Formats: sequence, structure tokens, C-alpha cells
Amino acid sequence: MTTTRWHFASVVTLVAAMAVVSLSACGAEDGPGDDGAAPAEPYRIGAVLSLSGTYAGLGEPEKNTIEMEVERINEAGGVNGRPIEVIIVDDATDAETAVAVTTRLIEQDEVIALIGATGTGATMAMRQEVDRAGIPQVSIAGGTVITADFHPLVFQTAWSNSLVVPFTLRYLEGKGVSKVAIIADSGGFGADGAAVIKDVIGTTSLELVAEEAFNPGDADMTGQLTKIKSSGAEAVLMWNAGREAATVAKNMAALDIGIPLIGSHGNARVEFIDGAGDAAEDFVFAAGKVLVPEAYAPGSDEQVVATDFIERYTERYGVAPDTFAGHAYDGLYLVVEAMKRLPEEFTAEELRDEIESTNGFVGIGGVFTFSPTDHNGLSDDDLVMYRVSGGVWTLEK
Amino acid sequence: MGGTELLQFVLAGLKNGSIYALVALGFTLIYAATGVINFAQGEFYMLGGMLSVWAYADLGLPLPLAGLVGVAATAAVGGVFELGAIRQRKDGDPLALIVITVGGSMVLSSMARHLFGPNERPLPLFSGGGSVSVFGAVLEVQTIWILGLTALAVVGLWYLYNRTGLGRAMRACAVNRDAARIVGIDTRLMVTVSFLLAAALGALAGLAVTPLTQTAFDVGPTVGIKGFAAAILGGLGNPIAAVVGGLVLGMLESVSIAFISSTYKDAIALIVLLAVLFMRPQGILGRSSREKV
Repeated sequence: MTTTRWHFASVVTLVAAMAVVSLSACGAEDGPGDDGAAPAEPYRIGAVLSLSGTYAGLGEPEKNTIEMEVERINEAGGVNGRPIEVIIVDDATDAETAVAVTTRLIEQDEVIALIGATGTGATMAMRQEVDRAGIPQVSIAGGTVITADFHPLVFQTAWSNSLVVPFTLRYLEGKGVSKVAIIADSGGFGADGAAVIKDVIGTTSLELVAEEAFNPGDADMTGQLTKIKSSGAEAVLMWNAGREAATVAKNMAALDIGIPLIGSHGNARVEFIDGAGDAAEDFVFAAGKVLVPEAYAPGSDEQVVATDFIERYTERYGVAPDTFAGHAYDGLYLVVEAMKRLPEEFTAEELRDEIESTNGFVGIGGVFTFSPTDHNGLSDDDLVMYRVSGGVWTLEK
Repeated sequence: MGGTELLQFVLAGLKNGSIYALVALGFTLIYAATGVINFAQGEFYMLGGMLSVWAYADLGLPLPLAGLVGVAATAAVGGVFELGAIRQRKDGDPLALIVITVGGSMVLSSMARHLFGPNERPLPLFSGGGSVSVFGAVLEVQTIWILGLTALAVVGLWYLYNRTGLGRAMRACAVNRDAARIVGIDTRLMVTVSFLLAAALGALAGLAVTPLTQTAFDVGPTVGIKGFAAAILGGLGNPIAAVVGGLVLGMLESVSIAFISSTYKDAIALIVLLAVLFMRPQGILGRSSREKV
């Protein structure tokens, strides 16, 4: 009797656990275009996204975007007369899982290209598999290392820190600031940004007077900010992509430090404004133009593309797309547009070469022009400074 | 470094320390009743914040009521978890129970991910965003709430343990389960009650901190590890020791930031933890098992 009940309980637990797992997996597995009984064999592309774990909030809009755009591409006749199928898998914000699912995409699904990963750590971990299979990878993560540690097969759609940091430092110079302090997340994106800041600050008129760090999940940064307060800094430069940004802003307001807080494109999320509330007022950061479409030149190709995407996304999902949705859009279309320029049958190497020859592709994150030495392909023209004012993003002069 | 700055570091240490203390209390209560480390304790912290946000933002309840709903609902989850998973393991094998709590924590955070989404969610400050000046150092009003709720929880636990029949029965179970059963105490019920209380304490911490940090489905493990370290540092099984352990850990981190480096604050705190455990394996206030028998 005892054994039976224990057995029953474990079965129930197992079933519940499997239900949870399958919930996260379904929707990801069923590719688009199944209903149309497409006669032609689809082109298969793999997408490694963080649908659970720390970056789940980034992976969700990315998945939404890819599903919506794949449907659109196939309704318009696909690529070279064949439909495309994007197989989306979850890396759980974990480098080892990313490697495992990448291997499966390559071995079992025989994908011709990879989009992702969502995070820098997972992107770098995938490299060994990408290298072995010899297929192109378009990462949608923001770490500088992805394209700085150059690999011919790897491209990147997010604005890298090596682009955003100098842009932000020039803004501070223009505002007459001379002493700055860094507060950064000790994790991938924050540590990457802090390293780039220390690298390039010597080329500016700015002086670094304090450097503090915090860990993901920390509940209080008043200690670090107290040190910054006594360092004589005239501005605080914060580099992180997690929810701790709101805590930093609130702690700064409570301590009444009285100097501006400057963030990064990692803070371009509505959740930051919701979380920091009044403390988010006058928060300044650099990011692409997608947050405030007026930033695009009126009537430009960029504005047309972005407005169309924002309208369709908002209609389908009930919220406006964020910057991460934009990175996924760019990743998908950089691959698809290159495929369209090729004949129906092509090799992985030809696809890689064609992606590298991308010239002036108008995406959401900016206008991409790759070269054999630049696989990020964006420029300062694709960035603007924003200021949080009245609880919304506004363009900063 | 001026006195005001030093005081600011002490206040930061107290604030983090009392959060760790509340989570550590939960570890200690369950350890006393079952001899098991409950690795789902961090998820109770997450649920306390998350269910309060749900009651406030999605159900539209006023904040005090929403907080009450959050803590009560989490306590209920703790009780159900004990009845549905822990109690089913009849032989009470500690290793099996620990594995069950690890699995439970994964199930709870996955369910929160699917019910409440992947993004962080905010909760308003309990009584506005003001702060008071303590000899020039800044003390946020929400921090006073955190310190006050921790003190209240400690006093409440002390009263329960020393002045009520239920508390005496729980202590009896902690000292000797078989003897407690012989004198007619329902030891199974005491285990359920300790899970209810531990979940409520974790939830209280999550509720008090969420207005400052927001909450998300994945906040549990980090806080769980800190609370566990605090419980070990103080000495497992003793509520006062859990509070002392929490405050010492918070203060250690603060001192590391002030005098050494914020990058290595967690590492420094853990090195001190290890050093203490080498000298006193039973923790700062813990009794050695020989004494206990």
C-alpha cells in the first residue's frame, strides 16, 4: 500500500514535470508552413533562443518576431520558390544547453544556418559546433567579444559595446562631464561593457574615478553608490542588462547623489521604467532608433521598414516590439535576403559569402553593411541618445 | 572614510542582512523539524513577491491586502508541497527528501514562469519613496519596513516557541521525534506546520524586498544560497543563530564593498564563512551534536 502510494505520487510528479517541459517546448517545435502542403522541401534554419532562465524576457519577443516573419515570408511565396522553416529551440540561458541544442539542429535537422543565441555566453559556446559544421551563425546578442574575437562564420545584429561605449562617452564629453564612475553587472554584458569603457576612456577627455560591480540578483547597491558618491564623480555610467538596473536607479535617488545616471542599450526595456518609477526620470542611454520611430529620418527606407514592423507586431501581440525583437528580425532577414540572392541550390560556404557581401540592408537595428573584417556592420548613425521623461522614452539632444 | 559613509555601509549591511535572516529562518525551521535542508526555500521568497504582485496588479487588491494574500498563499503552497511531496516519502530518508526539495524548487519556478511570464514585475513602496536621515546617513523608509518586519518575525517566532503549546510541541519534535510521538504529539503535523511557517517567512522577505528590486520567476536560487549560507554561518536549527548569521553575512558583504572590492564581495563573504566553519563547524551559535544529545 505504502509503496503503491509512493509510486503514484512519483508518477504524478513526473507527469507534472513533463507537462511543464513540454509546455516550454511546444510551439517551438511546430514549424510554420505545415498547413499549406508545400510541395517543395523547405529551407531549414535553426534559432537558439533563451525561452527560460535569466534571459527569458529577451527570448520571448525574439521568438514572437521570428514566428511572425516566417509566416509572412512563406505567405509571400517563400525563398526561391521554396518555403522556409525556422526551428526554434530553448537554450535555457545556459551555455552547455546551447551547445547541446545546436548539435541537434546541425545533426538531426540539418539546418543551413543558425540564428542566435540570445545571450553572449551561449553565442560563444556555440562556436565550436558552428566551426565543425561550417555553417553561418548570426548572433543576436550584444557582447563585443562576438565579433571582436573574429570568426569568418559568425555575424552579429545587436549593437556591440565597442560601438555603443564610444558613442556614450562622446555624449558625456559634449555635456562637459570630466569625471565618471562605472557601476556594472559582474556578468557577461556588464563586465564586457566595463572592459570596453576602461579600454577606450584613455582616448577621451574623461577620467575614471571609481569602478564598482554588483552581482545578478543583488537587492541593494547603496554600498557601491556610497563609494561612488565620495569619489567626486560627475556622472555614473551603468552597464547591465538585468532588473538590477532599477535597483541602482532607486538607490541613487534615495542617497540623493545628485549626479546623472547614464545607462546602455541593455536598459532599453519598459520593465526598467516600471520598476524604477520616479527614479527613472532623466535616465539617459544610447540605443537604436526603434524605441521612438520619429528618430528615423522622415520618409527614409528605415522609417518605412520599422513602422511596418512595429504596426504588425503590435497588432499581433498587443505590445510594441522592443530592441530584442528588432535584433531577431535583422538576424532572420540577413540570412533570408542572402538566400534570395543565391540560386535555389547553394552550399553553406556560398551562403556565408553572400551574408558577408550584405551591403546597405535596411533592418530594425540600423543599416547593415558587412565586410570581411566587420561582421557587426552598424555605425554611429544607427544610434541615438534617449532620455526617460514623464515615464516614456524621448529623444535626447 | 568619514563616519557618515561608514554608517551608510552599516545600514546597507543591516538591510541585506535582515533579508538573509528571514530566508535563513525558513531553512532553520524546516531543518529543526525534519533534519533536511529545503532547497525550495528561495522559491518561497520568489512566490511571496510574485503572488503579492499578482494580487495587487492583476486582482486589483489594495497593497496591504495583496501582501497578506501573497504571504498566505505562499504558506499554503508550502503546506501543500509538504503534504504532496515530502510526506509521501514515508521513511523520511534525508537524502531523498533533499532531492525532492530540489525538484520542488524547479517545478515552482517553472510554474511561475508560465503563469506570470518571464519579465520582472514591480510592486509599489509600502509607504512612499521617502527616506530619513540617521546622523547624515540615508535610511530608506522601505528599509525600515524590512528591518521592522524581520524584528516582528523574530519576536513572533520567539513567542510561538516559548509561550504556546504548538511551539513547545515543535521544539519537542526538533529535540527528539520519537519521544515527542510517544508523549502524544502529532509529529507529522508539526512537519507540515514548519513548512507553512518557513514558506510564510520566505514570502515575507520576498514581499518586503520586491518594492525595491522588482521580482521575477528566477529570483529564488540566488537568495536561497545566501539564506542557506546565513543559516549555516549562524548554526543550523536555532532561530536566533539564523538571524545572527544573516546579519553577519550582510555586514561582511558591506565591509568588503567599503574596504576591499565590490567585485569580490560574495567571494570574500564565502571565504569568511568557510574560515568560521573550519573553526566552529556547528556555526557561530550552534551547539555541537554531542552537546545536543
